[in-house]
Amino acid sequence: MEIINTYLLSVVLASLLANFVISLYAIFFKPHYIKKIIALTIFSDTANTFAIFIGYRRWINQNPSKVPVLTDLNPRAVEEFAKLAVDPLPQALVLTAIVIGLAVTLFLVFLGWILYSHYKTLDMREIRRLRG
Amino acid sequence: MKAVEVVVLIILILALALLITVGFEHIMPSTAVRPLAEFYLYATYNPYKLREYTVMSPEAVTAIVWDFRGLDTLFETSVFYLALIAGLALTRRLLSERVEKPGHGLSLIVKTVTRITAPMIIVVGASIALHGHLTPGGGFQGGSVIAVLPMVIIVVFSVSFLIMRGFTTSKMIIMRSLGLFGIGLTAIALFLVSLIQGTYAYVFQNMIKPDAQTSMPIDIAGALISGTLWFFNLFEMFAVAAGFSIAFIVLMLVRTLQVEER
Amino acid sequence: MLSGETGVYILMAVVSLISTLAVYMAVVEKDLVKAVIYSALQSGLYTILYFLLLAPDIGLVYIPVAVGLIPGVLLILISKTERWEKE
Repeated sequence: MEIINTYLLSVVLASLLANFVISLYAIFFKPHYIKKIIALTIFSDTANTFAIFIGYRRWINQNPSKVPVLTDLNPRAVEEFAKLAVDPLPQALVLTAIVIGLAVTLFLVFLGWILYSHYKTLDMREIRRLRG
Repeated sequence: MKAVEVVVLIILILALALLITVGFEHIMPSTAVRPLAEFYLYATYNPYKLREYTVMSPEAVTAIVWDFRGLDTLFETSVFYLALIAGLALTRRLLSERVEKPGHGLSLIVKTVTRITAPMIIVVGASIALHGHLTPGGGFQGGSVIAVLPMVIIVVFSVSFLIMRGFTTSKMIIMRSLGLFGIGLTAIALFLVSLIQGTYAYVFQNMIKPDAQTSMPIDIAGALISGTLWFFNLFEMFAVAAGFSIAFIVLMLVRTLQVEER
Repeated sequence: MLSGETGVYILMAVVSLISTLAVYMAVVEKDLVKAVIYSALQSGLYTILYFLLLAPDIGLVYIPVAVGLIPGVLLILISKTERWEKE
């Protein structure tokens, strides 16, 4: 049974890496500006999912792992909570990373509007030909 | 160009395969977490054994975001603010000065349903934000849910509807600045109080520490508020919702450059 | 005979495979409105993955941001500029 669980977690890891590769390819080789913005958001979201995946905890002796929120407030529950719950530190860092990625995407959209009103097109090959 | 693309794809896949073989045991989750995470889980609500290191909030993630690692969140809020100011500064001279008459919007059924669900969206967002220290939630989550409302109103009615009701860009900037001012004031509140009293306290202090004995109130008449966490969540909700509204209104109002202004 | 842990992992694997398919279709599509909709579908599948990985705080941020606000802003930009990606 151990090897089936490890295999299923490896499937999740392999599909996250495939998302990395496809979105990185699209940032470099697709010529339209908005397609690049879409691929950049997919790339940063996959990086955040990877960080949360590392912080997971497998089940111990068929007890399910818990969300990092305490429900009972007595001393024995606090001791058990520290031995069963999932890592809360990557979740706090990913919260910050999502908001910063959102701020960068908003700024890129404003920049795209300025680019369109100067060059009348958003195709990067045309802009490279027209510059200067 | 096709040969270059194929070569880049193959090099990316080979590099990722190398990464997997070298770091496999460290990437796959196991049945134990790191010792730092065990300390944070043990110290997040522990008035029994760790009274001088605890945060008194049953939610570990909110305690880390606003108390254990509070400086990260302060600077991330300022990064968001800077991105918004940069966007506003870029499109400053392209904003239309006058507001034309309101557009048609969508049909009557959609408008009536939007009028019914608009207070519900605000209530759900405020509930998620203000309970952030007891259940999963917090300032960002509640602020983002409330920020969906201006976008729905802009699509269903029109931008002129929103501006003629009084939600102009200037008022949203004022609300956002008030939110950020509230966050800064809460961060140094205990520091100022202890300066007046003559004792010693840190700048981002929430509960008592081994060498600084001032603390924010833990509960009000029996309901747990965990010191500065509740106030941080409230001000962050206002700041995030107002910031997104500014971005939507400005993006809908830009007009194209005239030919002679180029 | 199927333990609960294996059931959760099977669900995680299925959701990740469908999300890779959605990313591929978003990258290959030439109509930009359809590409934005495929990207929002991929974000919805990532939210299910966040809830299965026991991170409800992140799921609560991710749903309004990546399914509602980012596609909304991108669709406003598409309506003011061009819609089709040329070859």
